[in-house]
Amino acid sequence: MMPDPSMSAWEPEIQPRQTLWQRLDAAARHMLPSIFIAFIIILFSAPIPLPGAAELLPAIVIATVFFWSFWRPSGMPSVAVFILGLFMDLVGFTPLGVSAFILLLVHGVGLYARFGLMRLHFLLVWGVFSLLATAACLLQWGLACLFRFHMLDVAPALFEAFLCIGVYPPLSALFSWVFHMLDDKEEP
Amino acid sequence: MIPVSIQVRQALGKLVLPLLLLLSIGIIIAGQADKPLADKARMYVADALGPLWNLMSSTQERVLAMTDNLREAGRLAKENARLKAENENLRRWYDVAVSLTRENDSLKTALHWIPESAPAFVTGRVVADSGGIYARAVLLVAGTDSGVQVGNVALAANGLAGRVTETGAHSARILLITDIASRLPVMLEASHTPAIMVGDNSPMPRLMYYAQDTRPIEGERVVTSDQAGAFPAGLPIGTVHYLSAGRPVVAPFAQLDHLSLLRVFNFGQSQIEPPEAPGHVPLAPQRKPLSLPLKNLLGQG
Repeated sequence: MMPDPSMSAWEPEIQPRQTLWQRLDAAARHMLPSIFIAFIIILFSAPIPLPGAAELLPAIVIATVFFWSFWRPSGMPSVAVFILGLFMDLVGFTPLGVSAFILLLVHGVGLYARFGLMRLHFLLVWGVFSLLATAACLLQWGLACLFRFHMLDVAPALFEAFLCIGVYPPLSALFSWVFHMLDDKEEP
Repeated sequence: MIPVSIQVRQALGKLVLPLLLLLSIGIIIAGQADKPLADKARMYVADALGPLWNLMSSTQERVLAMTDNLREAGRLAKENARLKAENENLRRWYDVAVSLTRENDSLKTALHWIPESAPAFVTGRVVADSGGIYARAVLLVAGTDSGVQVGNVALAANGLAGRVTETGAHSARILLITDIASRLPVMLEASHTPAIMVGDNSPMPRLMYYAQDTRPIEGERVVTSDQAGAFPAGLPIGTVHYLSAGRPVVAPFAQLDHLSLLRVFNFGQSQIEPPEAPGHVPLAPQRKPLSLPLKNLLGQG
């Protein structure tokens, strides 16, 4: 990462005291992705006849978590990922903690590989994400099989993985636009 | 914030993710071990989110209703356009009808046409008739007190229904055109050919004794004829229909199986008496007709 030439970056402890409004603004910026995911979870668990809602919800959540984990980890801290995963489990019908576990794994991969991923071309990132999403969906399927003590149909898991892969490009376009907007605003 | 060194803070930051992973594994195991607890937690969350979901589904219903209304409005606009076009067309026909009526009136005036007197009529409610000698007859709640006489003509809303055969003070029996005893002189409207309509207790009376060179045409209108002096000419009865080749019947306009109201007209046909003609020899009344149709019926059946 390029060193930030501004004064505050060199001496992090010495900076002007933030006003309440600035603090609220920053908090809102950092919580935007988490709020987006929470909204998506509530929307998709509502009794609204959306096609494929059961598979689309984890797909959108996994793609969002991965994107923010490697581009802006400050917008997607581990604790938020954990809470959102738990919330998804509570609202949905997956065994408690499974989504949290899988989302944390995705988040961890994104977080630790972020400097490698950032340099890659978008298509390559998409390829990496495809592998990761397939692995996540298969892991979810494996855990579900394990807890129910019999083999479940693998087709829904693959469908979920495909949705995951398909939903990534539009979501990443949306989020790039969002944080370009946020960056523009940050400059005075 | 607790003052800790940067190294310690970084180490702690690196520890958060593994700790959370362990915690989630712990939650998975706990959730499997104590399922009622997990279900209770789920129910708490669902309870808290209930109002939100309610709001969403009511919004969705409202949006659906609104789109339905919009679609309905579009359909109404289309229907309106169609009706306007049709109305324009009808208005043209109205003008044509008015001008034709005027022309007809002026022609009648020019010809010194003697206008027909408007027939008197009474309307009565039909009650089912179980007695009587006829199979297809109805009882009307209007009798001689109301001016109904034997031989009057009963019309349903859109066609001939039958004739009055018996009258009481407050009721009249009407023989329907479908009864086996009903024989009516009729005219085929397209060819102006006389024929006899013979009831046979089925819903569609048969056509008989039409001229062999002008056969009834399918769909042709059948109206009454004034041949026997019982009916005025031109009351609509029904349309010709062929049940099979060479077997024309009349599909009546009136719905004779469920009549509710009948109008009984007194066309005053019986008042028309030919003037005295001294020396005029009336045609000998034929004695045969009673046997001839029967023979024909037997021969054809």
